[in-house]
Amino acid sequence: MRFEEELVALLPRLRRFARGLARHPSDADDLCQAAIERALKSRDQWQDGTRLDSWMYRITRNLWIDERRTAGRRGVHSPIDDAATQIAGDGAAEVEAGALRGDVDGAMARLPDEQREVVMLVLVEGYAYREAADILEVPIGTVTSRLARGRETLMHYLGEAA
Amino acid sequence: MSVDPIVVAAFVDGELDDLTARRIEREAASDPAVAAAIARHRALKERLAAHYAPVIEEAVPDRLRALLTAPDALDTSLADRRAAKRSRFEAMHWAAIAATLVLGLTIGLRPWQPTTEVVSDQGRLVASGALARALDTQLASNQPVGAAIRIGLSFRDDDGRFCRSFESRTIKGVGCRDGDRWALEHTLRGQARGDYRQATSGEMAAIAATMMAGEPLDAPAERAARDSGWGRR
Repeated sequence: MRFEEELVALLPRLRRFARGLARHPSDADDLCQAAIERALKSRDQWQDGTRLDSWMYRITRNLWIDERRTAGRRGVHSPIDDAATQIAGDGAAEVEAGALRGDVDGAMARLPDEQREVVMLVLVEGYAYREAADILEVPIGTVTSRLARGRETLMHYLGEAA
Repeated sequence: MSVDPIVVAAFVDGELDDLTARRIEREAASDPAVAAAIARHRALKERLAAHYAPVIEEAVPDRLRALLTAPDALDTSLADRRAAKRSRFEAMHWAAIAATLVLGLTIGLRPWQPTTEVVSDQGRLVASGALARALDTQLASNQPVGAAIRIGLSFRDDDGRFCRSFESRTIKGVGCRDGDRWALEHTLRGQARGDYRQATSGEMAAIAATMMAGEPLDAPAERAARDSGWGRR
């Protein structure tokens, strides 16, 4: 029962992380549900004594990335990621940034997935760079550079004073 | 700016060693650009934290919680223990069973329909069926949504026995561990209304308070007691 109880305790935080990734509450909870089901199915892969939260975040994040890739292959292309690639100095983007000044969801949606997940893990969930790198299974330098780019974009859209 | 922006970010994220962090603090004191960059990063972080904080306060949807609190999610060691208990029981001498008069107690409005929650064993009331199962396994800290029987407090009485207050639609009371069963010490008729869960359980809590030696069990202690089969000290 311990495993399930720890997972229950983790649910509020996991939902927050999922909300940051998926934005829409129902999509986020679908993602949580899929992650819980996956965790229950592969619980023997979790080593007792290691951190259950990191393991769950990794599962959640991997499911999300898989889903985004599948959606991409199906041609459901997110126009949002394109917007993020052309922000700097663009006049239209400046106007858009003004419109987004109060909209954290809108600004987050303009980050590419790999920046958004780092921003959520470090700036919202409070993980250390090392921990975020372990969850995402990338080198720590990748975390710091994605985080820097994500921050720059967010500050741009949310205003200098954020 | 006299400091690399990545280092400013790392400073705000608490990723720098003490020595470097102190150096950044000194730079911020003398270079307004560094101070401003730190302020911007802090503001962004606070903004994001504030934006997502309400999600933590939201009630977790039942569909998620149900995945983790369903009855079949009970740990197997408990099921094993119960299976072991059953096999011991089967090995018991049938004469002993015959000597035990098990009488269905009538609770509620239909005396001809005995409830299986409570039985009389040689003049003593003990929990049976669903009630015994709830007292055996259900944790007050983690009750299934819509559980028919709600556990209130778990505690030890003056004799060192584990006791647990409970409440269902038809019955409420306190069960104390006696050997491998739950002797019912105080049994009252339930309110038989749909809203018993919202009704105050002050009555049972007051009864429990008079029986209790020390404090009620907290969640970890309750779990530990359950996992050890509610054994005596």
